[in-house]
Amino acid sequence: MAEVTLEGLTKIYSGSHEAAAKDVSFRVEDGDFMVLLGPSGCGKSTILRMIAGLESITSGILRIDGKAMNHVPAKDRDIAMVFQSYALYPHMKVRDNLAFGLKRRGFAREEIKRKVNQVAEILGLTPFLNRKPHALSGGQRQRVALGRAIVRDPKVFLFDEPLSNLDAALRVSTRNELVSLHHRLGATMIYVTHDQVEAMTMGTRICIINLGRVVQIGPPMEVYRKPINTFVASFLGSPPMNLLKTRLEKAREGQRFLQLGTKSISLPERWFPSTMEIPREVIFGIRPEDIFLPGSAPSYAIPTEVEMEVTAVETLGAETVLILKPDDLEQKVTARVGRDVRTHRGERIKLIFDLSSAQLFNPDTTEVIVER
Amino acid sequence: MSVAQRLKQVAFLILLSFYTAFVAGPLFWVTTMSLRTTTEIAHNPYALPETFHFEKFYKAWVNSNYNVYFTNSVIIVLSAVVILTLIGGMAGHCFARYRFRFRRFLYFMIFSTIIFPPQITIIALFQILVEYGLYNSRIGLILVYVAFQLPVTVYLLESFFARIPSDLYDAARMDGYSEWSIFFKVSLPVALPALSTTVILNTILLWNEFLYAVVLIVDEAKRTLPLGIQQFMGDHLEDVGMIASGLMIAIVPVVIIYVFFSEKLIQGMTAGAVK
Repeated sequence: MAEVTLEGLTKIYSGSHEAAAKDVSFRVEDGDFMVLLGPSGCGKSTILRMIAGLESITSGILRIDGKAMNHVPAKDRDIAMVFQSYALYPHMKVRDNLAFGLKRRGFAREEIKRKVNQVAEILGLTPFLNRKPHALSGGQRQRVALGRAIVRDPKVFLFDEPLSNLDAALRVSTRNELVSLHHRLGATMIYVTHDQVEAMTMGTRICIINLGRVVQIGPPMEVYRKPINTFVASFLGSPPMNLLKTRLEKAREGQRFLQLGTKSISLPERWFPSTMEIPREVIFGIRPEDIFLPGSAPSYAIPTEVEMEVTAVETLGAETVLILKPDDLEQKVTARVGRDVRTHRGERIKLIFDLSSAQLFNPDTTEVIVER
Repeated sequence: MSVAQRLKQVAFLILLSFYTAFVAGPLFWVTTMSLRTTTEIAHNPYALPETFHFEKFYKAWVNSNYNVYFTNSVIIVLSAVVILTLIGGMAGHCFARYRFRFRRFLYFMIFSTIIFPPQITIIALFQILVEYGLYNSRIGLILVYVAFQLPVTVYLLESFFARIPSDLYDAARMDGYSEWSIFFKVSLPVALPALSTTVILNTILLWNEFLYAVVLIVDEAKRTLPLGIQQFMGDHLEDVGMIASGLMIAIVPVVIIYVFFSEKLIQGMTAGAVK
C-alpha cells in the first residue's frame, strides 16, 4: 500500500490554451479512500489519468511513496485502474481477463491460477470464469473489472466513475461492496465521481474539484458542514443549500442583523467580530434540513422565526420538501420537513431557521466569511 | 397472409431465382464444361456431363503448366496478403490510435491514390520496376500488389480500429503491456472481423488480377493463373474444354478461402467485439 502525493500538477493539452488541471496539490495517505468529486468536465478524470500514467504531466511532481513518478510508464507504477466502461478484453474469457495483467509480470502458471481463483471466489465470479464478457450482465462485468485490479495486488487502486453505468439498485449494493473491500484490503484508493452521494458515503476524504482546480479537501462531514465557498455549498447536499441574497446591517449597540426581504434576522454572536464594512450585501446560506416547522427544531438550534408563503409542496413519502417565498425577496427557499406536515400552496406559514449551521458568503469572491 | 402479401412474396422469389440463375448459372456451366471434352461441348454446349473427365484436370496441371501457374499465384498472392494484413493492420492501428505530426497529411496521401485506376499507373510502374531490376520478377509483382491494395486495406482497418474503445488500450497499458504487445494481443484479435474482410477482399482481387501481371511478368515460369488461362485463348485454337478446366483450378481455392474466412468473419461479429 502506498502514499500518493501531488505537488502542483498541471495538465495543458497541446493545442489548448486552457489548462485541464491547474496546480493540483494534495496527499493521499496510505490506506485512505480519497474521492475526487466535481461536475462533468472539471478535470477530475484528467488528474486520475495523470496519476495512472495514461496522460503526461505538463508541470508539477507526482510522487508515490516519495518517489517521483512523472516519467515512469503506466505499466511500471504498480497501479491498477477500474474504468467506467469496464474495458474488458472481449475476445478473452473472464479467467483470461483476470490473468492478463499477471502474465506480463512473470508469475508462474500455478501461481496465476491460484490468484485468479482466489479473487473470483471473493467477488462471486467462480461460475463465470469460462464465459466471455458479452455473456455477462453489467454488474458481473463490473466485478470482473474490479477483480482484474484486485488480482494484481497493486500499491494504489484508481476508480474512474465505475458505478455510472449501473442501474440505481445495483449502484447502491456495489457501493457498499466497494467500501467493504476497502476495509478488507486496507488499500489506498482514489475514486473519481460526479455523484455527491457516492462521495459522502464512500470517502474517508473528499477533494472537490472545479474548473481544473482543487476547491476544498476534507472529511465528508467537514466539507459538508463547513463549505469553503458557494460552489461547494451548493454541490453537496440534496436539495442544495439555500443561497439567499441579503443585506448585512448594523443596529445600535454593535448588533448585526441580516435583512432577508422584509424580515430582519439578528445574527448570532459568532459573526460579530467580522471586520467587514457594514452595510453590505452578503449571501446567507442555510441548508433545507436546517429549516424546521415550529416545535420541531432541535435543542442545539439558534432559532429565528420567518414567515413565508408556500409556493409548492413535494411529498416524497419519507419527508416533504417545501418551496417557499419570503416577503419581498425574489428567491425561493427550500425546506425539508417531516412527512406529516399539512399545508398547501398559497398558505403562509412560520418556519424556524436554525442559525447554528448557517453560513455567510462574500458575494464578490463567493468565499465563506469565517467567524472568529 | 393476405393475397397481396402472397403475391409480393412470389414476385420476390421469382426475382431472386432469376438473379441466382444469372450469377450462379455461368459458374455451374463452367463446372460442367470442365468435366467434358471439347468435342462433347461443341456437340451440345449446355448438356450435363455424361462421363466425368477428371483426367482433364491432370492434363491441365501437368501438360499445360498449370502446376507452375498455380504455385506462382499462391506464392505471390499469399505473400502479398500477409504483408498487406500486417502493414495495413499496423498502419490502421497507428492512424486510429495515435496523434502525430503530419498524420492527416499522410492519411490523405495514402487514401488519395485509390482514385488512380491501374491503367494510369501501369506505364510509370513499368519504368520504375525496370529501373530497380524488378521487372519480370515475382517480388516485383508482390510489391506492386501490396502498394496498390494498401490504401483500401488501411482505410478499412483504420475505421474499424477507431471504433475500438480507447479504454481497452488504457487497460492493457495498466496491465503492463508495451505498445507492440497491445497491437498483437488486443488490437488484432478484437479486429478479427475487419481483418477477415480485408483478407478475403485482397485474396480475391489479387488472385484474379490480370493487368499488372500481364504487363510485368514475361517469363513462362513466373506466370500467374489468370495469365495461364489466357494462354488457352488465341495461342492455340480455343480449347474451350481446357479453358473450363483451367478456370476450375483457379476458382476452387478462392471459394475455399472465402468460405473459411467468411465464417471467421461472422464468428468475430457475434463475439460482441464492441460492447
